[in-house]
Parts: sequence; C-alpha cells; structure tokens
Amino acid sequence: MRRFRRLLANEFKLFRTAIPIHVVITVQPTILYLLMSVILVHPTFDMHVARPATGEGLALVAAMEEVGSPIGLPYINPILVDWDGGPVTRQVVVVEEQRDADGVHPVAVQYYGLIDSNLVKNFRNRLTAAVLILWNESLDARAVTVEQHPWLPHDVPYTVYFGMALLPLTASIAASVLGGALTAQEFEFGTILEYRLAPVSPAWILGARLTRLVLWSLIAAVMLLVAIGLTTGAWPDSFLGVGLILVPVGLIAGCLGVLAVLVFRKLIPAFLVGLVASFVGWLLGSAFGLAAGFGGLYELVSRFTPGTHAVELLFPRYLGIEIGSPRISVLVLVLLSVGMVALTGLAYRWRVLRRA
Amino acid sequence: MESVLSVRSVTRRFGNRSGGLVAVDDLSFEVRQGELFGLLGPNGAGKTTTLNLITGLLGRHGGAITVLGYDPEQEPRRVRRRIGLVPQETNVYTDLSALDNLWHHAALYCDDLSGVKARIQELLTLVNLWERRKDPVRTFSGGMKRRLALARALLHEPEIILFDEPTMGVDVQGRHALWAHISELQARGKTFILSTNDMAEADALCDRLVIIDHGQAIALDTPENLKTDLGRDIVLLRTTPEVAAPEALFAGLGVQATTRPEPGLLRFEVAGAERLVGDLVSRVTAEHRLESLRIARPSLDDVFLHHTGRALRE
Repeated sequence: MRRFRRLLANEFKLFRTAIPIHVVITVQPTILYLLMSVILVHPTFDMHVARPATGEGLALVAAMEEVGSPIGLPYINPILVDWDGGPVTRQVVVVEEQRDADGVHPVAVQYYGLIDSNLVKNFRNRLTAAVLILWNESLDARAVTVEQHPWLPHDVPYTVYFGMALLPLTASIAASVLGGALTAQEFEFGTILEYRLAPVSPAWILGARLTRLVLWSLIAAVMLLVAIGLTTGAWPDSFLGVGLILVPVGLIAGCLGVLAVLVFRKLIPAFLVGLVASFVGWLLGSAFGLAAGFGGLYELVSRFTPGTHAVELLFPRYLGIEIGSPRISVLVLVLLSVGMVALTGLAYRWRVLRRA
Repeated sequence: MESVLSVRSVTRRFGNRSGGLVAVDDLSFEVRQGELFGLLGPNGAGKTTTLNLITGLLGRHGGAITVLGYDPEQEPRRVRRRIGLVPQETNVYTDLSALDNLWHHAALYCDDLSGVKARIQELLTLVNLWERRKDPVRTFSGGMKRRLALARALLHEPEIILFDEPTMGVDVQGRHALWAHISELQARGKTFILSTNDMAEADALCDRLVIIDHGQAIALDTPENLKTDLGRDIVLLRTTPEVAAPEALFAGLGVQATTRPEPGLLRFEVAGAERLVGDLVSRVTAEHRLESLRIARPSLDDVFLHHTGRALRE
C-alpha cells in the first residue's frame, strides 16, 4: 500500500510535465457548460405579445405565464410590446376577436419572422398549451383558434438550415485544429527555428500559414456543401458568395488555433482549444435556429460569434431571403478577422521572434 | 585574412542581473574568412549561447558582435541572409522527404528560386543523400539527418556556417563522413564556426579554436599551438601498489599537475618525458611493480585540464 501511495504521489507530481493540458481539460468543460447553459438548460422562451386590449387577451397572457414544466419552470416569458402590425423579425402573438354565426371567438394569432420551422413548432406547441389553460379556465364552450402567419414566403426546411449552419463550424474546425496542429508541430520538432532565423518578414510567414488554413477550411466546407446539396437538393445561389462568407470564419478560427499554440506551445491543449471553441462558437452562433428566434441572452451572446453573422449572410444564399443586417454582419466579420490577425501577429512576435 | 566575425567582450546573463547565471562572460574572438573555427568546451560552457548571440536569436548584455560588418541585433535580416545554422537538435520535417525539406528552406531563405533546383541536387550529392532524396526523413539515420541539416544550412549560399555539435549522436562512420563534407566545403571557401565538446573533432577539423569554460575564453590558438604551448608531455603510470607520494618519488624531475584519473593510474605532466624515461622507471621500480608506462603528447583535453583543473568531459 505504501508503494501504491508513492506511485500515486509520483503520478500527481507529473502534473508539472503537462500543466497546460491539465488546465485545459479541467477548465474547458466548465466553460462549455456555462456557455451551453445559455441555450440548452433554460427552458423558457421569450415570446412577444401585443399589449392586449381585451380581457381575454390579458387572460391569455396570464395563461402563457402559467405554462411550464411539471417542476414549475415556465416555458414562456411573455413580453408585452406595442405593435403597430408591421413586419416582425422575431414573433408577436396577438389576441384578436373573430365574429361568426356562433358569436365572437378569441383568436391567438402568431406572427413570426426570422424563425425556422423547428422553432415555430416549438413556439406553437407552447402557445397551444397556454390556450388550453385559458380554455379550461374561462372560455367554457367557446372555441379558440391558434393561427400562424409567416412573414417569409416559404417555410425553412430544417435539414437545409441545419446544414447551412454547419458550414461555419466546418470551416472553423478545419482552420483552428489544423492551425494548432501545424504550429505546435513546429515547436515540438524544433522547426520553428527555421522561421525564427528566416530573413523574411514575419507578416509573409504568418500570412502564408493563415492563407493555407483558410483555403483548407474552404475545401472542408465545399465537401459539406455538396453533401447538403445532394441530400436536400438545396444549393446556394452563389458558390463564390458562400466562399467569401466563410473566409473570415476560417481566418478567425485559424488565428485562434495558432494563438492557442503560441500560448501553450503544445499540440493537445491547442487541439482542445480549437475544437471546443469551434463547437461553442457553433452552438452559440445560431446552430439550431436564428439568434433572433431565441431572443434574450442567447441572441445577445450569439451576436459576438462569427457563426451568427455567417449564418445570417448564408441565409439569402440558400433561401433567397435577406435577413438581419448584412452590412453589420460583414462589418463584424471583417472587424473580428482584423482583430484576430493583429492579435496573432503580436503573439507571434512575442512568442517566436522576440529576442530573449 | 579578412575577419568575417568579431566577438568583443560579449556578456550574456540568464535570470536576474544580480543572482542569475552568466552564460557568456567577457568573451572575445575573431574568425577569419575561409577559416574553420571551433568553440570547444564542456556542456554548459556557453557555446550554444555564443552561437545564438551571433545569429541574433539572443540579445547580449554587453560587448559587441559584428558578422560580415553587421550587428546581428541591429540588422538581423542582413546577418541571417549570410549565415547558415545547423542547430544542436536536428530540426528537420521527418515526414517530408529530403527534397521537400530543402524546398521548404528555399522558400524561406532564398530570394531567387531560379537556381535552387540545381543547387539542391548539388548539395544532396555532396552530402551523399541524392539517392535518398525522395525518402521520408524519418527513415534516415542520425548521421544522414545531420548531413541533410548541413545541406539545408548551405542552400541559400551563406558565407558563414554555424554548426552546433556537428556529430552529436552520430555513429563513427557518419561522423567521419560529416567531417569530410565539412572539410570539402571549407576547401571551397566557406567559413565554419563549430561548437563542440569533442576534442578529437576539434583537433581534426579546426584551424583555430577558443576553449570556453563558464562562458569565458581560457585559451585561443591553433590546436597544435595550444598543445605545444603546454610545453610538457603527459605521463600515465600504472603500478602495484599505487605510488602514494608522487611529489616525493619524482622530486627534482619537474613533475606537475599530478592527478589520479582512476584507481591505480597516476597522471602527470613533465617536460621532455622521453629523456626522463630511464630515471622515471628506475625510481618507480625501486619500490613498485611497473604495470604500464605511457608517454603521450598533450591533447586538447590536456590543454583544458591544464587551464581549468578539470577534464573536458567532467
């Protein structure tokens, strides 16, 4: 037993031989959980409701607040808004009255904008549950209807949306993991010395590496794009357009991969950082539905990911409908790219070229 | 001959200024055009640090260095265009072929790629790797990798080649092949600066060398002069029983630097040992049985021992 305790103590001392890996594997799941909890753990959806003018409307809002899980977590967070009937980017629920031969019936009308079919289903189910509560409690035998009015000219097939939202992830994983692996290899094999001594500008060296990463990320994305096309029949209206949207995503991810190595100087931590950052960026970047459809904290956080902006720019390429603000999305992607390239350049100077 | 490298009173510390390690301490030497110059010293003497100071990879804390007229700290790119470095750890891409490794280097170091193809063939032929040019480097022996690293360092036609521990980890055959390549390149006018702790290597290759210990130059000259300047022969004497008091036994003969490298073996330095053999033998055999007596000319290790009191490999 004493021998075992000594061996165990030795094992723990070996911590010092791989500190970055220990740190990464210990901290990353927690970070992942905290970020993922924004979309996956909380069951409550924000739902805008046009400020009701009738008693039945108010009763529906109360019923919406009542809908929840068996343990009491609310499914709907009704947010009262003043709505003038114009187009909506998310969704608005309006309680109207419909008169027919049987009398006046309340109608809950769900207007929705930038929401895919999967989210619409989710919202409708929740709204229907609220209406059922309302019916049971106060409408007696009167009928109530839930209608849906899409603003988009056609429904968005979820397989297409999901595939399209995977494109940024594909580019991101390829660039970040490859960037990390290639650069870590230079440190591990000592070939970084070749770069340190090379009589050329570091901008050229870094530029060549990042360009290669971006090109490889595009190759990976093309494979997925073809798979989406062959399985769903959905092809983008412009391959060049899709490529241009994915270039900044690959560039940002490639920089992240290289940066991770410049910090850790080892392959495995850099690999983990690239992989986890790509997945987190994907999940928070409109992976399962447009950010505007989720609203709240998710939308706020997702605005800082390249994925959300890439998806909003890809949307018209695949579905023919312009959404969000393309100029802002382009600007954000360009700014993030420039920022990451600058940061990587500084880190490269500091960690590789700095004279000790 | 024209000086191509000048190191003057260079100092380099690691760690904080007060309690850190002084790796290079007031070191000075010059290297001439076409010379094969050696930095000889034990591990940790400051040889690699000196090479890194010459390339500008490290900054110095005092003194001055000029490489072909340029300060490597002020004008690193000018210097690096004109030097080639073969580092101690062979840093080649093992999954690439020899050809790919050289093309990779060419992209980084050669301004004009037009003559590179022919030059690669010339260099790989020179280091006897042309037949294996397409094989992955991971299939190469240690010596072959060192030769490839040498070919790579020569690709951009540097005027000075810095070679850190040329034959470390290389077998005897590979070692002699590498020495032959270095000598051939020197004959073509290249200037070499070798860092080594192998006295045989320094003796065989270097025109001149500086012996470094604790970052300081303790001797600088041609290997022959360094040994001759010692002025004494080395005597190795094995007896039964051991000579207990050599100073008393050999009194009046001018015996110096007496040490016992191993049990039963006595080592000392004496001028004109050949003339003293008879006297030495008669004094020893009076009370001891003589097992062996060896008289040798001093080696560089003896020069190092003479100056530091320690063997080079201690």
